[in-house]
Amino acid sequence: MLVIALMVAISASAQIEKAKLTASGLTCSMCSKAIYEALIKVKFIESVQANIQESSYSISFKKDMPADLDILRKAVEGAGFSVAKLQVTVNFDNASVQNDAMIQLNGKAFHFLHIEPQTLTGAQTLTLVDEHFTNAKEHKKFAQYTSMKCFVTGIAQACCSKDVGVGQRIYHVTI
Amino acid sequence: MKLMVSAIAALLLSTTIYAQTEKGAEAPDIQLPNVKGEITKLSSLKGKIVLIDFWASWCGPCRKSMPRLRELYKKYKDKGFEIYGISLDTEKDSWKKAIFEDGIKWSQVIDIEGNVATKWQVQYIPTSYLLDKSGRVVAINAEGAELEKLLQKLLG
Repeated sequence: MLVIALMVAISASAQIEKAKLTASGLTCSMCSKAIYEALIKVKFIESVQANIQESSYSISFKKDMPADLDILRKAVEGAGFSVAKLQVTVNFDNASVQNDAMIQLNGKAFHFLHIEPQTLTGAQTLTLVDEHFTNAKEHKKFAQYTSMKCFVTGIAQACCSKDVGVGQRIYHVTI
Repeated sequence: MKLMVSAIAALLLSTTIYAQTEKGAEAPDIQLPNVKGEITKLSSLKGKIVLIDFWASWCGPCRKSMPRLRELYKKYKDKGFEIYGISLDTEKDSWKKAIFEDGIKWSQVIDIEGNVATKWQVQYIPTSYLLDKSGRVVAINAEGAELEKLLQKLLG
């Protein structure tokens, strides 16, 4: 029983393996050490590598700790920048997804927007379309693919599907 | 299959991460093209005190540091100081224009794919490495008075 619990815990925390982040601000994000230094202090981040030409950071997460994307975003904002784009690599095991529907994966809720119905297996890259995880224009563009309030709040409402508890954080993603 | 590929990619990435160039370490050789497209090796400057300067034409703070570097270069180049500037520009023309505008007379090469910057774990620019005559890293991101003090000590 203990072994099973342990295994679940490992797979639960290993779900978001890595991320690619682009930040923007009044000054050039790659000309400042502030973001890099803020990112390496985040406790669930294993390593950070800037791709200077692309103006992005490749981030890998610790395997034994759940990655909290809100904390990641706050680290960028604390450094005086904002997240312009965030892509995460998530490991799926035969997950059926479709437009404007949510799946629960090891305690994290992903609400898919603007996608074809499909089954996801293995490592997949998802792009966050939530407010503060992309630019305002991009976020607005995705509003047309859902009428659910959680797209605005990022939090599950009482009307939401039975799989998710009221108040749970929902990440809105596209493929 | 896709999973295996990503596992290999992750492994490669972690190998690169541990190959960080640190203070005291011997700098690995760099071979990049200069403005004429000819390969300029870092190792060709061995025996000199070398400042490796990662920069780009679009990087404000990098451009701002150029007058000071120009001053130091003029003052110490005959005593054995050389700068190996590595541009992370993706447009050769912007790079060449910046070299002209800033009056850069020292070695200039371009890392158009960013491979060297990644290998050296450059996380932001400007980033610099000061190498002693044997090619060992003696300081990272030393600038201003601190850099000049080090130059005087190493060249003296």
